[in-house]
Amino acid sequence: MFQNTKCECGHQNHAGTVLCESCGKPLIAELAGDNAPLEMRYDGAARRSQKANPGLIDRVWNFFSSVKIAVILIVITLLGAMLGTIYPQEGTFINFNDPDYYEDTYGLPGKIYYMLGLSHTYESWWFIGLLVMIGTSLVICSLDRVLPLYKALNKQQIRKHLQFITRQKVVYTGRIEDTDTEGWTARLGEQLRKRRYKVYRDGDALLAEKNRFSRWGPYINHIGLILFLLAVLARSIPGWHMDTYAAVPEGDTVRLADTNYYLKNVEFSVDYYSNEELPEELQDTARAKKYETKAELYECVDNCTDIMGDPVLEKVAEHNIIVNSPLSYKGLKAYQFDYDPTPKLKAVNPMLVDKKTGEAYGPFHLSITEPELLYELGPYRLELITRFMDFTINEQGKPATKSREPNAPAFLFLVKGPDLDPAGETFIYFPKQVDKQRFSQDLLNRELADRIEFRVDSMEEVEISGATSHLNIRVDKAMPYIWVGAAISMIGLVMGFYWNHRRIWLRIDNGILSLGAHTNKNWYGMRNDVAAVLRKVDIEVDPKSLDNGGNKT
Amino acid sequence: MNWLDISSSAFIAAFFLYCFAFLFYVIAVAGRKWSNRKPEEHVRKWSRIGFVFSTIGLAAHLVFFFTRWAGAGHIPTSNMYEFMTFLGMSIMIAFTIIYLIYRSPLLGMFALPLTIVIVAYAAVFPQKVQPLVPALQSNWLKVHVTTAALGEAFFAVGFAAGLMYLLRVIDFKGTDKAAKRAQRWIEFTLYVIIVIVGFIGAVFLFRGMDYQASFTQTNISYDKTGAESITEDTVEYTLPPIVKPYNSVTTAVEPFLGMESPLFEAPSWMNGVNAGRKLNTVIWSIIAGTLLYGILRLVFRKPLGAVIHPTLEGIDPEDLDEISYRSIAIGFPVFTLGALIFAMIWAEQAWGRFWGWDPKEVWALITWLYYSAYLHLRLSRGWQGHRSSWLAVIGFIVVMFTLIGVNLIIAGLHSYAGVDG
Repeated sequence: MFQNTKCECGHQNHAGTVLCESCGKPLIAELAGDNAPLEMRYDGAARRSQKANPGLIDRVWNFFSSVKIAVILIVITLLGAMLGTIYPQEGTFINFNDPDYYEDTYGLPGKIYYMLGLSHTYESWWFIGLLVMIGTSLVICSLDRVLPLYKALNKQQIRKHLQFITRQKVVYTGRIEDTDTEGWTARLGEQLRKRRYKVYRDGDALLAEKNRFSRWGPYINHIGLILFLLAVLARSIPGWHMDTYAAVPEGDTVRLADTNYYLKNVEFSVDYYSNEELPEELQDTARAKKYETKAELYECVDNCTDIMGDPVLEKVAEHNIIVNSPLSYKGLKAYQFDYDPTPKLKAVNPMLVDKKTGEAYGPFHLSITEPELLYELGPYRLELITRFMDFTINEQGKPATKSREPNAPAFLFLVKGPDLDPAGETFIYFPKQVDKQRFSQDLLNRELADRIEFRVDSMEEVEISGATSHLNIRVDKAMPYIWVGAAISMIGLVMGFYWNHRRIWLRIDNGILSLGAHTNKNWYGMRNDVAAVLRKVDIEVDPKSLDNGGNKT
Repeated sequence: MNWLDISSSAFIAAFFLYCFAFLFYVIAVAGRKWSNRKPEEHVRKWSRIGFVFSTIGLAAHLVFFFTRWAGAGHIPTSNMYEFMTFLGMSIMIAFTIIYLIYRSPLLGMFALPLTIVIVAYAAVFPQKVQPLVPALQSNWLKVHVTTAALGEAFFAVGFAAGLMYLLRVIDFKGTDKAAKRAQRWIEFTLYVIIVIVGFIGAVFLFRGMDYQASFTQTNISYDKTGAESITEDTVEYTLPPIVKPYNSVTTAVEPFLGMESPLFEAPSWMNGVNAGRKLNTVIWSIIAGTLLYGILRLVFRKPLGAVIHPTLEGIDPEDLDEISYRSIAIGFPVFTLGALIFAMIWAEQAWGRFWGWDPKEVWALITWLYYSAYLHLRLSRGWQGHRSSWLAVIGFIVVMFTLIGVNLIIAGLHSYAGVDG
């Protein structure tokens, strides 16, 4: 469609312009006819998406520049997010590896939920795709509008076309008795200045404007949101994001997985609420008031990858970690996540007893987590073949370990010594008495059980660690960007919602005053402003009567 | 008399002051057409009285809040009772701000009953001061919860104004399809509100009767390794059991109106915490609400919407539309700050991640997305009047689901918020 875009005032407008960029006269034929209030969005300027002959890129641009599409994307995202809250997400379990969990717990709906991939909604391709599309829409919608808006607001003409003024949503027309129309306009301008308007006058035409900056609020908000979304995506850059757990028994030092750091749990303590602090129904319940890990963080400076030598550690930080107060060092953070107050077996010092002679050799130090590979005890030689932390017999009838927690430790040795097979004989040892009986150590060891035994003489030969503190170790390099994005977005929201851009145009033609006013939000305040200013120049008018109908936003 | 006693007295005072204020606002609006008076003067006089009462009520509510803070040693926003009373107080603050901008007594006629219902609902929950678990021991408890609640309170005022707009403009005499549909939905909305009132009424009625019943429920659950574990739990009812918990045996049931045993059992798929009791509560709420609704219909002999509609005659609907929108526009940045940004800062500090897709977080995001859609539709697509008001009404349902529904139905990290319905 060919459209003549040259206005009668002589200004050449871009294709798609609704109101003349210079004088504001309605340009579109169907608009020029009636007297309904004008659509003032972007001051009627043309947007890029209104280009005459769209190519492929233009079509993509037009798609994402539509607010309608943006709202549809928001609504789909909203509905998708709802689906993810029906059952717990896989991410709520520390290690999710049971595909039947949802079916076992929730029955058929759970099975369908899992099969559809809704058990990880927020990591699914379609959900992330939606977020990316919202991001794209944010960029394109903003660019498509902010540029024409900026241009339109930057070169405003003071004397507007009469139709432009009388077809605003707030309008006043009336006769001015004063014959000095310029003087009258100047006096009104003075009043507007008192209400913090910027006033531009051109003879007996006037433009008053305030809080133009609030128009940039939505765009600043969108920039913040884009930054926020980019920061979220940046967390998938290798090394930017880490999330692991460390169980550190009291007194132990543990290497933090995938880092060069070691964390020592110097002391762990739990405080419970006393009965005086508890209400009646909670009396005598152990309700934790505070749990705290006195932690020291070490960095390895030498021998870090060498298995044989001990790493050389240097203390870099210390902190009393409690919930809401993590240890933090160079972007690495250790959070109090949980604790396990049950003591754990740390080491035993058994004697090797030759049952025939009754002679005892040792004791030798058998650490549960870091056993030696070889022990020499008198004529006997123990070679450690393997170790099970949580012993069990698996479905194939073979010994295996259920977990890495030392719940039922077991040690398989190759024993060499007098009257034994020169190639050595196998011997399994359960340091815990209860496991020894549960798994029938003597049966497993067959004849050798009659020859030797490991004996722990007293409790002093058993080392037990205190409570274990569970810490959550995190690295999140995107955080600063996330906060900056959120802050920018917040500034934009406040600018856009708590201030309103208000403009008043007026001109006097043959003693008739025509005044029109426009705001982007809060028409109630706009009408009050106009009525208050007119009252100052002795024109009494009810704010409500200024309403020219149409939209109120 | 200690702090907590002063606090409970102030709470009751606030509740009754709100009730009186509501009455005066109703007189202000409905009494305009009474004989021998000038309507404007009448409205001015009675709305001033109403505003004085609602402001004193708010002051008493603030006394409740700060004395409880002093007595408990921590800010009273840590369980459902405390949070809901705080939400009620925030709605009053939001209402006062909006009232000072627009000076519309009508708003009181709708915002006050909303506050009254929410405050009464709060009283359903256990009111004991509970010591804080370590996760809540943070200054962010003060900042995050209060800001989020204030944002939501503005949404609530937006809802009240939106509902008023609909009651004002819907054509209750219309017989065409659109008018019929609008009438049905507004009536349904009012019915839902009455069901909530019915719920509160039922709880207090049986609490007054000191009603009790208990069951032993056998729960079979599977842990992550697939091992089966069986536990026996006692489930206490305070409402007569129409539904008993799934897989349970009756321990003790007081007969009520000749009903000595539960009528049926909760289905197995409802396996949340105390699902049976919650279902029983829902059924009682619907019974009580329907009864109440039926009585009202018998008294007025026409739909409730058509009863309220004439009292709003002569009020400019565009003012209501604008109040609804402005309230939401004022609340939106506050909500963003409190429910999302402050929440993220605290989550980062307490749990080590600023966002974890916990159901409460997701629903806060859903609320935010919903209202951003509302604002875009209104500002860019020109959705006003009817459509905008319906969105404001539905939006508040989303808000309430985020606040209460998530805790009742979906368990998550916010489950410590002490729900016991």
